Amino acid sequence: MQTKILLLGLWMICCSKVVCQAQNASKGDIFIKNAQVLTITNGLLENTDVLVQDGIIRQIGSGLRAPDGIPSIDATGKYLMPGIIDAHSHLALEVINEASSPITAEVKMEDVIDPFDVSIYRALAGGTTISHAMHGSANAIGGQNITLKHRYGTRDPDQLIMKEAPRTIKFALGENPTRVHGRGKNLQPRSRMGVEAVIRNGFEEALQYKKVWDDWNASGNDSKKQQIPPVYSSRLETLVAILEGEIIIHCHSYRADEIYMLIQVCQEYGIDKIVFSHVNEGFKVAPELAKYTMGASVFADWWAYKFEVYYSTAYNAAILTKNGVVTSINSDSDELIRHLYHEAAKTQRYGGLTDDEALALITINPAKQLGIAEQVGSIEVGKQADLVLFDKHPLSIYAIPQMTWVDGVKYFDRENDAADQRLKVDPEETLEPIFLHTEHHNCMRDVDFYFTGFGRNLFGHRH
Amino acid sequence: MRAFNLLILFSFLCLWSLFPFFLFGQSDRNGDRRVTATYYLSNTTLIPSPGKILTGQNLLFEDGVIKAVGKNITIPAEAQEIKGDSLFVYAGFIDMANKTGMVEPPIPEKPEHFDPSQPIPEIAGIHPHFSALDHFQENNPHDKEWRKLGFTLAQKLPKGKGMLPGSAALVMYGHESRNNILSDNQSLYFKFSTVGGVYPNTDLGVMAKWRDLIQNARLHEMHGQMYSSQKDLRRLEKDPVLEALIPVLNKETPLLIESTGELDIRRALKMQEQDKFNLIITGINEGESLIPLLKEKQVGMVLTLDLPEDKFSDVAEDKKGADFQHRTERAKKAYLEKLSLPGKFEQAGVPFGFTTKHLNRTDFLKNIRLMIDNGLSEEGALAALTVHPAEILKISAIAGTLSEGKMANMVLMSDTLFSEKAKVIMVISDGYLFDYSEKSNKIKKGDMVWEYEAETQGGKSKGKWNLTRKDKVWTGTVSYDDPQGGGIKTSTIKNAAITEASLAFSFTVEVGENTLEVKVSGDVTGESFSGNMEIKGYGNYPVKAKKLEKPEIK
Repeated sequence: MQTKILLLGLWMICCSKVVCQAQNASKGDIFIKNAQVLTITNGLLENTDVLVQDGIIRQIGSGLRAPDGIPSIDATGKYLMPGIIDAHSHLALEVINEASSPITAEVKMEDVIDPFDVSIYRALAGGTTISHAMHGSANAIGGQNITLKHRYGTRDPDQLIMKEAPRTIKFALGENPTRVHGRGKNLQPRSRMGVEAVIRNGFEEALQYKKVWDDWNASGNDSKKQQIPPVYSSRLETLVAILEGEIIIHCHSYRADEIYMLIQVCQEYGIDKIVFSHVNEGFKVAPELAKYTMGASVFADWWAYKFEVYYSTAYNAAILTKNGVVTSINSDSDELIRHLYHEAAKTQRYGGLTDDEALALITINPAKQLGIAEQVGSIEVGKQADLVLFDKHPLSIYAIPQMTWVDGVKYFDRENDAADQRLKVDPEETLEPIFLHTEHHNCMRDVDFYFTGFGRNLFGHRH
Repeated sequence: MRAFNLLILFSFLCLWSLFPFFLFGQSDRNGDRRVTATYYLSNTTLIPSPGKILTGQNLLFEDGVIKAVGKNITIPAEAQEIKGDSLFVYAGFIDMANKTGMVEPPIPEKPEHFDPSQPIPEIAGIHPHFSALDHFQENNPHDKEWRKLGFTLAQKLPKGKGMLPGSAALVMYGHESRNNILSDNQSLYFKFSTVGGVYPNTDLGVMAKWRDLIQNARLHEMHGQMYSSQKDLRRLEKDPVLEALIPVLNKETPLLIESTGELDIRRALKMQEQDKFNLIITGINEGESLIPLLKEKQVGMVLTLDLPEDKFSDVAEDKKGADFQHRTERAKKAYLEKLSLPGKFEQAGVPFGFTTKHLNRTDFLKNIRLMIDNGLSEEGALAALTVHPAEILKISAIAGTLSEGKMANMVLMSDTLFSEKAKVIMVISDGYLFDYSEKSNKIKKGDMVWEYEAETQGGKSKGKWNLTRKDKVWTGTVSYDDPQGGGIKTSTIKNAAITEASLAFSFTVEVGENTLEVKVSGDVTGESFSGNMEIKGYGNYPVKAKKLEKPEIK
C-alpha cells in the first residue's frame, strides 16, 4: 500500500515536470570534461571541465566531479566556446519588411517567427545559438526586432524567443528607404536629408503624443473631465519608448556622414542606446562610434553591391576594435550565419586581432549590443549554457563544430546528424524547390511589390 | 389637358380599389403555389442526432417546423405523405465559413497623389462594417448544387482582399421564392491577408493594425459613453470601422479568424489571449499539437474539408534512390497526418464543424470517407456537419438535430450516410422538398420539362415545354421568345402524343393579327429529343431538346 502511494507520488512529480517543460523552454544538464575552454572574458583555460545544470553554467575548473545522472562528454583536445551570436539576421521569419510606410515602429517581428525554418538547424551546425531576427531595411524606422535562441524542434514560435532580451528596433538610412519610398512611391524620404527629417518628425510627433496621453492620464478618473480620450498609436508608443531608453536602436547604415547624422540626432533627443549595422564607412567615424553608441556590427569583407557601399575595407572591424568601439561581425544571411567563426578569423588576416578580440566579435560583443551580455556571450559561472564544441581552434580554417547546446540542451551533434532535419513537410511536394542566392533575399525581402523590373535591374542587390 | 390626364389616372385608381382580389388572383397564374405546407415522412429510419438510430418512425412537419416525431403520431388530413420506408433521414448539413454566391464589394478608387502609407480603411481592406448580405447573390447556382449534397444552411463570409472584409451571415438553402436569410452579423470575419501595395501590406502590418484598431475601438466606446452624459465635450465622430469592432470586444459577436496553417492558429490564439473575445477559427488543416490548447480556450473550430492531393496511391515503381525514397515517405506521412487530423480532434473530445471553402463538390463525400478511413468515426463526421456547427453558430435551438420544434431541414438518403452506395434521394430545406431521386426523371408519371432549341430563319429560338399527364392525357405549355420582342410568351400545347420513344404536339403563336400554327414531332432517346418543327406556310426547322430533372416542388 505504501509503495503504491510512493509510486503515485513519484508519478505525479514526473507529470508536473513534464507540464513545466511543455510550458517553458527546456533546460539541460551536461558535464564537459577536459576541454580547451575559450571563455572570451577570461582567456583560454586548458584542460578544463565545465558543469552545466538546469541550463546554467555551474562550475568551471579542473578535476570537477559531476553529480550522478548528468551526461558527460570527454572533450580532450577539443575547443569549447560560447555559442555564437549573430546581431543582424533575418532567420526564421515569415515576413521581413512591412515596406508600406516610412515609419513602421509598431510592427513586431515576434508576430512572424517561423519555427519550422530549417536554417535554424543549419545555424546550429555552424555553432550559432542566438540570432537577432530583424525587420528589413525598407523603412527609415522599421519594426521591432526579436532576439531568438535557436531551440530548434519546437513548433511554438514563442519558445524561440529569448525572454531576457530587451526590446530592439530597426532603423535604416541611405539608399534603401529613399529608393522604396522616395523613388518607388514619391513619398518622403527621397534623399538622405529626407531620412533625417522622417526620423526627427517621428520623434517630435512622439513627444506630442506623450504629452497628450500624460495630460489624459493626469486628469484621473474624474467623471466630469473636460477631455476626450486621445487616439492610440502603437507606432508613436514605440517611438516614445525609444526616447525613454527602453528600446535599443539597430540602424542599417553605410556612409560616415549618415552615421554621424544619426549620432547627432540621438544626442539631441537624449538617446544613447544605438548600435549601427553594416557601417562600412564606420572606420571614418570610429572615435564617435566609441564615444556615443553601443557599437557597430559589420561584415568582415562584403561590399560593392550598391553605390553607397563602395568605400569599404576588410580592416573595418579591426580599426573599430582598436578605437574602442564594441564591434561585432554579423551575417545578414542564412548562409553566412553557418560560419561566422570564419568571418571572425578574417580580422586576424586583416588587422591582426588577437584570438580573444576576434572571438569577441561573434560572442560577447554582439551580446552587449543586444543587451544580453549578463546572460550569454562568454563562458562564466552563472551564465546560460549556450555552448559550441569545435574539433580544432574555431579560428582555424579547418575547424568544424561538433556539438551545439542551448541552455544545456544539445541541439546539434555532428555524430548524429540526420540528412533530413525538416520539422514540417509539404504533403504535396516531395522535392521542395531550392532557391539559389539565399544570401541575397534578406534585408529587402517582401518589398518586391514596389519594384518593377526597372528597379530590380538597376539595383540588383538586397542589403 | 393636364386635368384630363389626372382624371383618367384617378378613375383608374378607383377601378383598382374596387377589385382588390384581382391582384391575388394573378399570384398563382402558373399553378406554382404548393398544395400544402404540411408533410409527413412515413415509416422511416431516423437518425435524429449522431449515434442515435430509430426505425419505423413518422415525422410530421408544417410550415418548415418539425411538429411531431414518433411511431404513433397524429397525422392531419392535409398532410402529404413522403414514403420513408427504405430511407435514412438525417438532419440537414450546415456549412461554415463559406463564400459561394458572394461578390466582391465595390472599393473606392485610389485618389490622385495617393499615399499608400495612409490609405482610407476601405482601400486597405479594412471594412468590418460591410455586411456579407449586401454582396450576396441569393439564388446563385452553386448553393443549389451544395443543397443536392445535403446542405441546408450555411454561414456566408463576405469577400474582400484585406484583413477585415465584413460581417458574416447565416442563410438557408431554401426555396427561391422565400427570403432565406436567417441572421446577419453572425460573426466578424478576420483574415491574415492584405490588399497589397498599401499599409498594412504583410502579416506584420496586419497584427499591428489589429492591436491599434482594438485599442481605438475601446477609446471610441469610452468617448461615446462620456458624450452621452456630457454634451459639452467634443462630439463623437462616426467611425463605422471602430463601431463594427465594439460588439466583438463586448463578446456579443464572435471574431471568426481564417487560418491557413499552424502559425496562423497560434497568432489567432495570441490575439484572443490579448483581448478575450469569442473566437472561431476556420480553415484548420493542421496543428495536432495545438488541440489541448484549443480545447482549453474553448475556441469554435472549423476544419477544412479540402484535403491535399493524393500523390502516393498510384506511384510508379522507379529507382530514384534512398534519399528520394525517404523524402517521399515523409511527404506521405504528412499527407496521412492531414487525413487523420479530424479523427485526432474527435478523440481529444474537441467539437468542430467543417467548411467546404476551396472544396470541389465532387470531393465532398470522397474526402469525408478518407477522413473516416483515417480515424474519424461516422458519428463524428455527421456531428461535424450538423450538431457541432449548430453549437458553434449558436443555433442549436433550431438546427443540427431532428426533433420537435426544430426547422424542417433534412437529408433523405437511400442508405447509411457515408456508405459508398448511398445516394441523396431528397433534401428538405425550410420545409420545402427538393426531389433528387432518379425516378422523378422518368416520364411515366407526373410532370416533365424539356428545354428546346430550334433553328429558324430568324436565328436560334429557345424555350421550354412543360408537360403534365392527367388521366392518360398530356397537356401543357410551350414558352418562346415573342416574335414581336415582348419577352417570353407561352402558348397551350394541343394534341400531345407522347411515348417513351417519341414526342409530338402542336401549338399556335399570335403575331399581330396573324396566327401561326406550329407542329413539333420527333424521336426521344433517353433524355434527349431530336425532331422537326413545322410552321404552317413557312417551312420546316430542326429542333433539339433536353429533358430537365424534375422541377423543384414549389
